[in-house]
Amino acid sequence: MRRRELIAGGAALATLGGAGALAVTDWQPGSDDGGVEPVELAAISGQGEEGDTVTVPERGRVSLVELFATSCDVCSRQMAPLGRVAERVGDDVQVVSVTNEPLGGTVTRADVADWWTAHEGTWPVAHDADLDLTSALNAVSVPYTVVLDAENRVDWRHSGYADHATLLARLEEARA
Amino acid sequence: MNVNETTVDRRTMLRVAGATAIGLPLAGCIERIGDETGATREDLVLAPPASHDRARETDVPHPIYGDDLPEATVQAPLHDRSVTTTEFVGDRATMLTFVFTSCTTVCPGLTSTLRRIQADSIERGYADEIAFQTVTFDPEYDTTDVLREYGEKQGVDFDVGNWYFLRPETPARATSVVEDTFGVAFERADESDPTESENETTDDDHTESDGETGDTDHDGMNESDGDTDETHDGHGRSHRHFVHTSLVLLVNRDGLVERAYAGGPPAPRTVLDDARTVVEEG
Repeated sequence: MRRRELIAGGAALATLGGAGALAVTDWQPGSDDGGVEPVELAAISGQGEEGDTVTVPERGRVSLVELFATSCDVCSRQMAPLGRVAERVGDDVQVVSVTNEPLGGTVTRADVADWWTAHEGTWPVAHDADLDLTSALNAVSVPYTVVLDAENRVDWRHSGYADHATLLARLEEARA
Repeated sequence: MNVNETTVDRRTMLRVAGATAIGLPLAGCIERIGDETGATREDLVLAPPASHDRARETDVPHPIYGDDLPEATVQAPLHDRSVTTTEFVGDRATMLTFVFTSCTTVCPGLTSTLRRIQADSIERGYADEIAFQTVTFDPEYDTTDVLREYGEKQGVDFDVGNWYFLRPETPARATSVVEDTFGVAFERADESDPTESENETTDDDHTESDGETGDTDHDGMNESDGDTDETHDGHGRSHRHFVHTSLVLLVNRDGLVERAYAGGPPAPRTVLDDARTVVEEG
């Protein structure tokens, strides 16, 4: 089949859309059923003790996990709504941000800690050095926000900016 | 030989671009296989991608698995010389992508895909076995200084000497190189529907719409490009926007495409594994 014919009609476009989306996200039907396996990630120093780890996502409570990078402007803008959410939720919700950028060369752990402070981050922040969490969440871009229920099943995933009202609503749903 | 084979059907590509503008994903994800390139399996390190059989039947404008790396000679302004895309064939693996720097959604994803491999190449000692080429299709905005600043912000390591920003010197030349030679469609689309940004933040239902959620990278461009304050200081041209094919090429030492990741930034782990394998076994 030639491409021109493929895109000739709306139905064909819909088909392409489905295929494209699978290619983008690597999402596989049923892959979330067993819940996301928690990963031990190194906490960004300057916040906790050196050598501290953060378990992401925690089982037993709802989690809001945000993947970010310090090079990403939208991630900067995402910090304010995340801060509002972190302030509002109780201990039954894990709010955590995770950078998956390579650290140690042009960008160091200290750079991330500085960025974090400059953007008034008050909740746990960690580094996904081996892309374990990034892969488990099928994240291909930043910011990428995922809400998981207490069994670590993905309730909601979102690529790009999300406002605090949306985040709170999704957390409420995940708690229900 | 492959340059000729990457037949450009401009009308088709623009229709693809048009589809994206109205909120549909780019169709570049379906890959055609290079069945007439003369490349044999022995020349390739990686097995065909999962989309191989289906791809064989379509006619994607950009090079795909098994194709030759298209050749074009483009100015590398940070190096004060021109670079031919095939310059490292026989010596290094090559990764390429195509961006405009004032994009704040998919393009940082594309650049960061290469930057991640660059960091890995330094950490694991294969920096001199791979080269990175990021081609801008927006030379009007992406001047030498803009490219340098953008690279620094993205964490590119310029000292290690394997990263090249390529800048066609005019928009016409950009079309020739990016669209005609590499089959990466792009179209200026500054004025977009402002209501799309609303859809983006409230986009949700997690169930069967996972696919659509993945697409918000593209839909969400408008929303993020509206984020003028932080990204465009000093230039005052905050709403520059292009609809474009999202493509990352991973090319082996012999100049054959091992992977053409299209349809959005690829999964980081996948690219990392692929790039290491191509370098180590190529």
